[in-house]
Amino acid sequence: MLKLQDVQAFYGKSHVLHGVSLEVEDGQVVGLLGRNGVGKSTTLKAIMGLVAVQSGSITFAGNDLHRQKAYRIPRLGIGYVPEDRRIFPRLTVLDNLRTGFDRQGASAARTQQLLEQAYASFPRLKERQRQLAGTLSGGEQQMLAIARAMMLDPKIILLDEPTEGLMPRLVGQIREIIDVLRQANVSILLVEQNVPMTLAVSDRVYLMERGAIRHEAPASELSVDDDVIHKYLGV
Amino acid sequence: MSELFQDLVVQMLIGISTGLILALVASGLTLIFGIMDVVNFAHGELFMLGAYMGWVFFTMTGSFWLGLAAAGLCVFVFGLIMQRSALRSLIGSDPLTTILATFGISLVLQTAAIWIWGPTVRRVGAAITGHIVVFHLQFPVYRLLVAVLSLAIIGGLWLFMHRGRFGLWIRATTQDRQMALAMGIPVPLVHTVVFGIGAAMAAVSGYLYAPILGVDPTMGVNNILRAFIIVVVGGMGNLWGSVLAAVFIGVLEALAVIWVSPALAVIFSFAALIVTLLVRPTGLFATVPR
Repeated sequence: MLKLQDVQAFYGKSHVLHGVSLEVEDGQVVGLLGRNGVGKSTTLKAIMGLVAVQSGSITFAGNDLHRQKAYRIPRLGIGYVPEDRRIFPRLTVLDNLRTGFDRQGASAARTQQLLEQAYASFPRLKERQRQLAGTLSGGEQQMLAIARAMMLDPKIILLDEPTEGLMPRLVGQIREIIDVLRQANVSILLVEQNVPMTLAVSDRVYLMERGAIRHEAPASELSVDDDVIHKYLGV
Repeated sequence: MSELFQDLVVQMLIGISTGLILALVASGLTLIFGIMDVVNFAHGELFMLGAYMGWVFFTMTGSFWLGLAAAGLCVFVFGLIMQRSALRSLIGSDPLTTILATFGISLVLQTAAIWIWGPTVRRVGAAITGHIVVFHLQFPVYRLLVAVLSLAIIGGLWLFMHRGRFGLWIRATTQDRQMALAMGIPVPLVHTVVFGIGAAMAAVSGYLYAPILGVDPTMGVNNILRAFIIVVVGGMGNLWGSVLAAVFIGVLEALAVIWVSPALAVIFSFAALIVTLLVRPTGLFATVPR
């Protein structure tokens, strides 16, 4: 469904992606692991059209993403939950969710249904819907960032380090949400540094180093102690 | 009552009404800066262009109100074209590029105005004449009308931004351009429309000012300086901060006139600017909700 082939990208003047190739199939959860600064976040930004792709191709459900205008990409059904959450701090929780309402072909009824689904998954957000998003706690902001992406009625969600800085209890909650999304047949490309969590929720994982994919394996074949995990993620 | 007290009341009134007109110019400027980081050095010329457009329609139809509508609409469209053709591709690059581009456009517009309409000062009749007497001063009712209209237009802008989808797009884009794109908001379109709105606000204030100042090619240059001071004092990008700062600057200068000559009053605005930059570079009214 989502396929990157030999993607080269620059962040400003630095060459960050040196030919990334990966694939996410329908309904799959795919983990992308690697140390800080190896290009995991840039890979997601390249998919969203937020960094310029120099060469290579990114296709999603038959569309060439790297030839699309950035604002058309989410409308194809791609939700993005960035690293630092990036909620709109001076919009209310409800307005944050409303930013995703306008999609081609989305009816008012479907929109209302999506909003109810989001509130059902995150009851906290419903309680705080009139509050400015900037006043939420870190965990609540993470919930909002995920709920906001869900408002796009996505076929795939790109999750960038959703567990970073969260308490263990909330990490568990993120895992549950990933399972809920998987049951709803939403694919997930999960960027993480939390190895046990990623191996537990993913179908397949890619290991990334210095701007390229170095290893690919079904999650069930890897364990936290494997040599390749140590090689690409060990301290 | 003491003479000083009377002076204070009268000057406060003048200051508030002037401040609200300035607020209209400044809020367009701050809106544009807030969303696309463009310091629009052609804003004064959009103000001037609005006055001319309004004057053209005013002399054609004899209606002040048709002139007002024409000023807003023509310059709105002009703003859309200007943003789309000259500025869109520069957004996000070095701020110097947009400063040069808008400064260049301001020179072209000024020269074009001299070429088309000549240096003569043109007159627009006020929508209402008459005065109210405040102590020793005859205060023109038109100034009150302009103050109320300015406030109404700014209030209308606020409503537009807080009701409906496009307003939400504007607020989201102002806060985080990349995330707005990632939520499917057509950011380039939002930028263009906001520029058009800011241009229209400058135009409308230029036309509202016309019965007071007259219309001539240099009216933009002569009046835009205060708008820039206000935007900085109010906090770049902060709409209500700009409105408060405009009234503050208006009153400050009006009160200064009690003791110094009107030509020197602008020094107090510069003092306010310098103090702001030294003490609170994010704006004196940075705590005002945007």
